[in-house]
Amino acid sequence: MSASPAVMAGNDTPWVLPSRGRVGMISLIIAESAIFMIFVAAYIFYIGKSLDGPTPRQVLKIPIFITVCLLSSSLTMHWAIATLRKGKTASFNVFWLITLVLGAIFLAGTGREWQHLIYQEGFTIQTNLFGTTYYSLVGLHASHVTAGLIGLTIVAILGLAGKIKREHSERCEVFALYWHFVDAVWVVVFTVVYIVGR
Amino acid sequence: MSSGHPSSPAASPIPAHVSLPAPSVWPGLLALGLTLAAAGLVGSRVLSIVGAVLCVVGGIGWFLQVLPHDRHEDVSVDAKPVTIAVSHRKVSRMAAAQAPHRARLPLEIYPISAGIKGGLAGSVAMAVSAILYGVISHGSVWYPINLLGAVVYAQTEVSTAQISAFHIELLLVATVLHLTTSILVGLLYGAILPMLPRRPILVGGVFAPLVWTGLLYSVLDLIDPLLNQRIDWLWFLVSQVAFGVVAGLVVVRQVRVPTWQFPLAARAGIESPGMMHEVGEQNPPR
Amino acid sequence: MASESIALRVHKSPLHVVYECVATADHKKIGLMYIVYALLFLVVMGIEAILMRIQLSHANATFLSPEVFNRLFTLHGTTGVFFVAMPILFGFGNYLVPLMIGARDMAFPRLNAFSFWMTAFGGFFLYASFFAGGGLSQAGSAPDVGWFAYAPLTSPTFSPGHSTDYWTLSLLLAGVGSIGAAVNFIATILCMRCPGMTLSRMPLLAWMNLVMGGLILVTISPLTAAQLMLMADRYIGGHFFDTAAGGSVVMWMHFFWIFGHPEVYVLIIPCFGFVSEIVPVFSRKAMFGYPAMVAASVSIGFVSLGVWAHHMFTVGMPSYGNAFFVLTTMVVAVPTGIKIFNWLATIWGGKIRFATPMLFCIGFLFQFLIAGLTGIMLATAPFDWQLSASYFVVAHFHYVIVGGILFTIFAGFYYWYPKITGRMLNETLGKWHFWIFLIGFHLTFDFMHIPGLLGMPRRVYTYEAGRGWETWNMISSIGAIFQAAGILIFVYNMIVSYFHGALAGNDPWDAWTLEWATTSPPPDYNFAGVPAVRSRRPLWDIKHPDDPDWKYE
Repeated sequence: MSASPAVMAGNDTPWVLPSRGRVGMISLIIAESAIFMIFVAAYIFYIGKSLDGPTPRQVLKIPIFITVCLLSSSLTMHWAIATLRKGKTASFNVFWLITLVLGAIFLAGTGREWQHLIYQEGFTIQTNLFGTTYYSLVGLHASHVTAGLIGLTIVAILGLAGKIKREHSERCEVFALYWHFVDAVWVVVFTVVYIVGR
Repeated sequence: MSSGHPSSPAASPIPAHVSLPAPSVWPGLLALGLTLAAAGLVGSRVLSIVGAVLCVVGGIGWFLQVLPHDRHEDVSVDAKPVTIAVSHRKVSRMAAAQAPHRARLPLEIYPISAGIKGGLAGSVAMAVSAILYGVISHGSVWYPINLLGAVVYAQTEVSTAQISAFHIELLLVATVLHLTTSILVGLLYGAILPMLPRRPILVGGVFAPLVWTGLLYSVLDLIDPLLNQRIDWLWFLVSQVAFGVVAGLVVVRQVRVPTWQFPLAARAGIESPGMMHEVGEQNPPR
Repeated sequence: MASESIALRVHKSPLHVVYECVATADHKKIGLMYIVYALLFLVVMGIEAILMRIQLSHANATFLSPEVFNRLFTLHGTTGVFFVAMPILFGFGNYLVPLMIGARDMAFPRLNAFSFWMTAFGGFFLYASFFAGGGLSQAGSAPDVGWFAYAPLTSPTFSPGHSTDYWTLSLLLAGVGSIGAAVNFIATILCMRCPGMTLSRMPLLAWMNLVMGGLILVTISPLTAAQLMLMADRYIGGHFFDTAAGGSVVMWMHFFWIFGHPEVYVLIIPCFGFVSEIVPVFSRKAMFGYPAMVAASVSIGFVSLGVWAHHMFTVGMPSYGNAFFVLTTMVVAVPTGIKIFNWLATIWGGKIRFATPMLFCIGFLFQFLIAGLTGIMLATAPFDWQLSASYFVVAHFHYVIVGGILFTIFAGFYYWYPKITGRMLNETLGKWHFWIFLIGFHLTFDFMHIPGLLGMPRRVYTYEAGRGWETWNMISSIGAIFQAAGILIFVYNMIVSYFHGALAGNDPWDAWTLEWATTSPPPDYNFAGVPAVRSRRPLWDIKHPDDPDWKYE
């Protein structure tokens, strides 16, 4: 054992590798982005190709309020992580719960929009190409928000039970990456559906 | 092979126990649940319900395994260390760049700018001869330009009058195409002229255009018969030669620079001992 | 030591072994499960191929009905890509990557198990279609829309019942598994390397798996998206691919091939890794042009993302579209050529040992070159207009998949079997396997180009006599029998050698990468102490302390 000439004796530089949680989450985000890219491409390709109405302009209203909610939830998430890194678990819990509430408002807003479209306007996924692409793209995003909310809730419960400590900030940060991704996707979906597509 | 002292690649001292991830049935159960949930879509809905239940159970089980801390089990380490025999045999070295090989590699080359200059000069010569052809044969400077542009941008058969007229988009396409190709061929000339044994201008300016024209002459009818009908092959050859000779003359007038004396082996990333300087020759090993 | 651990394994109760398989999070066991699972499906797809070759061996054959023939070629293709090639490569990657980079396990061991089970259940789910509905005798409701399942063939109108849904759902399930595996590979390779194992010192196999992981992320996901759209169309009345409502069937083609073409590179790139590990060891020389090799692989990955529509020249794209995809496709030849030259330069001047792994690699070099050349031919749009969807295309991609991928996988088996089991594969049987399979391969696929040039379309269940296709098809079918015989020798060799093969020792090939620095088979923890490396060939450095590699890097 002692005589092993190929061994690096006494490393000058410490051996640092990237965090696997972060790399794993970024990889997952790349995969998810590719899924969204295909749905967005389909949406853009089918803009104005529906054979009959209604058109986006007739039924869609721009959802400013819930957009603001979702985007600001990214900010509160960021503050939550920053406070956790300093070990202030109480303010972490507060920021985290605000994030959760903002996300829930967004999801509820999307739900209300859909309810309006389906029951008042009679506009469903079967109506025309616009319906198919609209519900699938927004629905795909909403399903990601839902998954995020489940994660947020679990962490919130653990946090309120006092189980989240400073050493968990790494894992919370990895989760935050996902939440920021969901928000960023909404910016794209919003632009495509409510600005370009209208 | 002379076997010396046993050796091991280990860096750290060998521990008595190693922590490994504990076995877990939950991931498999979650996968089974998802599959059954999917199976409900092609079979009985009961399957979906069972699958959903399994998903929840598997998900919670998995969650409890990794949170708050990954569950591990300690595996005791086999006392016997792995040994690797050491050999003091030297490997033979490949003969590196010797005189016969060296002869084929130029010691001096033209700088990249020479190729670009040559290509641009050639492009002017070629354009002049091509436009001369257009004016003489059809009375239009646009005729050859439109033909060149049509290589990438033409959908249907058109009349001679249309080809003789001015089209801005064809002019743009043709200009881009002409300049890009000219510069690329000029660079190629700059790279290969020093390697041609004798009379580089003759080879590059006459022989290469002849071969290229002959190749196109024989296959263009298959690739693009419409275009083929419009090509005057004699003029085509003349413009090619004009390009070759001018580009060649410009290139050879440039000042040569010595080749990159960085060893080829290092540039190709070969690791054969003896082909490159040892890192440790000047500096002690890290 | 090897025999001891084999003996230990025999003494465990069967129930315990089953529990270990189901619950394991160990990368080596999961890797083995992937490999065994893939070999099982290799035999299944081989049987499907033999059945089709019997049907096509002579004109006007009635051995199979048209319906059964459609199901066979659909399942042969789908199984081959998703349940043979990908799992077997995941298996080798799982087993070898942590060993080669000096890690104790994958980055996410439980995700690894989950990914395996998703892939496995996806495959079983696909074959469950045989037992659904009509049952086994009427071949149930197995999918029959071809492996790329063009719309509108998959619409509820043309594909009633659930046959297409089995296909869609099984690929969705397996897709989740593949993405999980890719995430795991990337995280493992980037985050679990042992001290000193910088990216520029990583074994090429690890590099190739990294590129494969990245490609999977951006290729399987579009497939998943397209499958979700197809599900929306079939289950809840969407109109994505419904022309009656203004939908476009060409969209499906684009989405499928955005996945489908890079997928070929997902399969071949880890095989490049096998060749890059085996060729240097059996030429007794370090890999020539390591950085060029890495750069070429990464650029193949990128270029492959922009070539998909060369599968669609006959659809009628604008001429700029055709020109773009012709050019990008031809560009692929540049990095691939760099690789071929690097391997040749590695062999050049080496002290070559013609053991079975090397034989398969040399076979690969020749066949992959020819496959690439027919690929360049097909990349030329006018040529493709003539031969698209003919047997020429079938011959071309089987040249890649069998002549390229399968040959290197065999090479990998002969090379790493001693590490995995502790016993050598029988060399004589290995040579028989190589030569018989080689002859069978060339009989089948060399001669398959010719009926393609003569106009025989792919996916026909039979053909009329007198078109000049009979002889060529008969030769192809005879070749298939040779290939089956070769595979049987291989399976026999693996079983016999497992019990009676010569003991391998830790390092039977005198190789240079870290997996040979531990016992065969490796212990659960891989390395007693974490290794440290200073060069691309850590074992060389230890074996030749007077002349270590790190002096030259």
